[in-house]
Amino acid sequence: MKLLSPRQLPLTIGLFLASLFVLFPIVSATEFSLREPAKNTHGFDNYIWFFTAEDFGKYLGISLGLSVFSAAILLVILVPTVIWLNLGGGRYRGLVEFVSLLPLVIPVVALAIGAQTALPGFAQTNESILGFMFAVLAMPYAYRTLDTGLRAIPLRTIVEAARGLGASWLRTILSVVIPVVRSTVASALFMTLALSLGEFTLTSLLHWDTFTTWVTTMSQSNILGAIALSMFSLIGVFVLLLLISVFIRPTKSNVVAEEN
Amino acid sequence: MTSTTLSLRGVSRRFKDTLALDALDLDVEQGELVALLGPSGCGKTTALRIVAGLDNPDAGQVLVGGKSVTHLAPNKRNMGMVFQSYSLFPNLTAAENVAFGLTMRNETKNFRLSRAQELLEMVGLPKHAKRFPHQLSGGQQQRVALARALAFEPDVLLLDEPLSALDAQVRANLRDEIRALQIKTGTTTIFVTHDQEEAMAMSDRVAVMNAGKIAQIARPDELYHNPASEFVAGFVGQMNRIPAAIDGDRARVLDSSVTFRPSWTQQPEDLVALVRPEALRLELAAADSDAGNATVVARAFLGPMSKVSMVLRDGTEVAAVIASADSTEIVSGSSVRVTVKDDQYLVVAA
Repeated sequence: MKLLSPRQLPLTIGLFLASLFVLFPIVSATEFSLREPAKNTHGFDNYIWFFTAEDFGKYLGISLGLSVFSAAILLVILVPTVIWLNLGGGRYRGLVEFVSLLPLVIPVVALAIGAQTALPGFAQTNESILGFMFAVLAMPYAYRTLDTGLRAIPLRTIVEAARGLGASWLRTILSVVIPVVRSTVASALFMTLALSLGEFTLTSLLHWDTFTTWVTTMSQSNILGAIALSMFSLIGVFVLLLLISVFIRPTKSNVVAEEN
Repeated sequence: MTSTTLSLRGVSRRFKDTLALDALDLDVEQGELVALLGPSGCGKTTALRIVAGLDNPDAGQVLVGGKSVTHLAPNKRNMGMVFQSYSLFPNLTAAENVAFGLTMRNETKNFRLSRAQELLEMVGLPKHAKRFPHQLSGGQQQRVALARALAFEPDVLLLDEPLSALDAQVRANLRDEIRALQIKTGTTTIFVTHDQEEAMAMSDRVAVMNAGKIAQIARPDELYHNPASEFVAGFVGQMNRIPAAIDGDRARVLDSSVTFRPSWTQQPEDLVALVRPEALRLELAAADSDAGNATVVARAFLGPMSKVSMVLRDGTEVAAVIASADSTEIVSGSSVRVTVKDDQYLVVAA
């Protein structure tokens, strides 16, 4: 495609403006975060500032731990559910879809209050409550990612074929189902991780401290450092997305190639 | 090669309100290919799934070589199956797919590889071993699926409409290849289809199913020329339905007095004769004479034969298949005289 041909010119201009719109703030913010006003130069002082801040590792660790925890909860709940929906429980799909949509409909404030009053005491005494809540918040996205991915695969026929070829249930799951659904599960997993890492509202409402709330607090004392932190988070998410694309090879579709 | 007889004895299966299989009995001889043919919902796929162990009968038994496999899990039955939809494992290459059944039987790697290659050659895809399913066409995928089902020398081969997702040309080729391969391996085979042409062309015997029962099971010729019921007569091949009357031991159909066989009628009036298109004879009638009893709607040239569609005076639509050489002057709008050759037709009550 020739980007400068008359037909493509409007598209090219549009793309150029759009990329300016995205890139300009990022470049500016990066420049800003590298400023060192005291020395009137550019450097990594602001980055060093938050890296060496007392609680940086602690809160990053908490956030990472919570995202892994919530992703694990979702996988344990959703993967078997969605596989079951695609193998024979199809008539319950409407119900499951409805339930999975609830977190999008219910305001986070209501969720927070509900969690505070409904969850058992032991879950309220440490941050793990957030792991459960993050799982709830990420469910609509994770469910849809999984279901769309699995629907593209004739899972039921594949399972029946494996059984007919002599595979026990255990071997069917280990050597057929898991390899086939792996890439789909991986994308649902990263979706949940990214969402949990960036969650702020609920955490703040429930008065817990994670990386996001820590960033907010820190930014009040050092504006340059706060921008540096934001850039760090941005790059973190970018790396996550990169990981997704590395882990997930192009989905093996059943699109019929041309007859030859 | 191992081949075994397969029997279904009084197999019934009910889904909620519908009886999918009604005490079905079926015997497939060693090395035989039997087609289960019927309209959708007649129970043919249910029967196949029960044989495969993918569904359980409410009553009755499935026997392989005289031994009951009714309660065996599908992976213990040693049956190869090819599905209607593409069922290859998307994460495995063609060769790995073919070798899957051997892997499950703990065969050595060398044996698996050579056997997979051998089977891929058999289905005409020797150079596609390393391709993944998404790199293969629909016809190629079904060939690999067939190779996969045959690789471990199954006792019974089950084909569940394996050709219905393919286009016509590929379909016809693969149909002949499957049959050739089945004869070569001598594998006892059940073939489910709703395409009567496919069933007739490929099978040793065809079982026409209706409402969970076998309406008739016979060789294709027998089925075509001597159907056991009106349903079979109407379902297998084309059939004209022409008003008729009984006159002693003869029947009057289209001004012809002819013998009829076999008869399912008890009453002598309001009868319909079932007549094959090739049992009709056509003569051009002069436009101004009374000799004609039908008007031609269209003539379709099919090579050696042509199909002529007509409307009788009473509005009945009939079709005749006659030699193309004899029908060159018949065009749309021609007035023709249709008569019945004195064989190959049946009389039923309206």
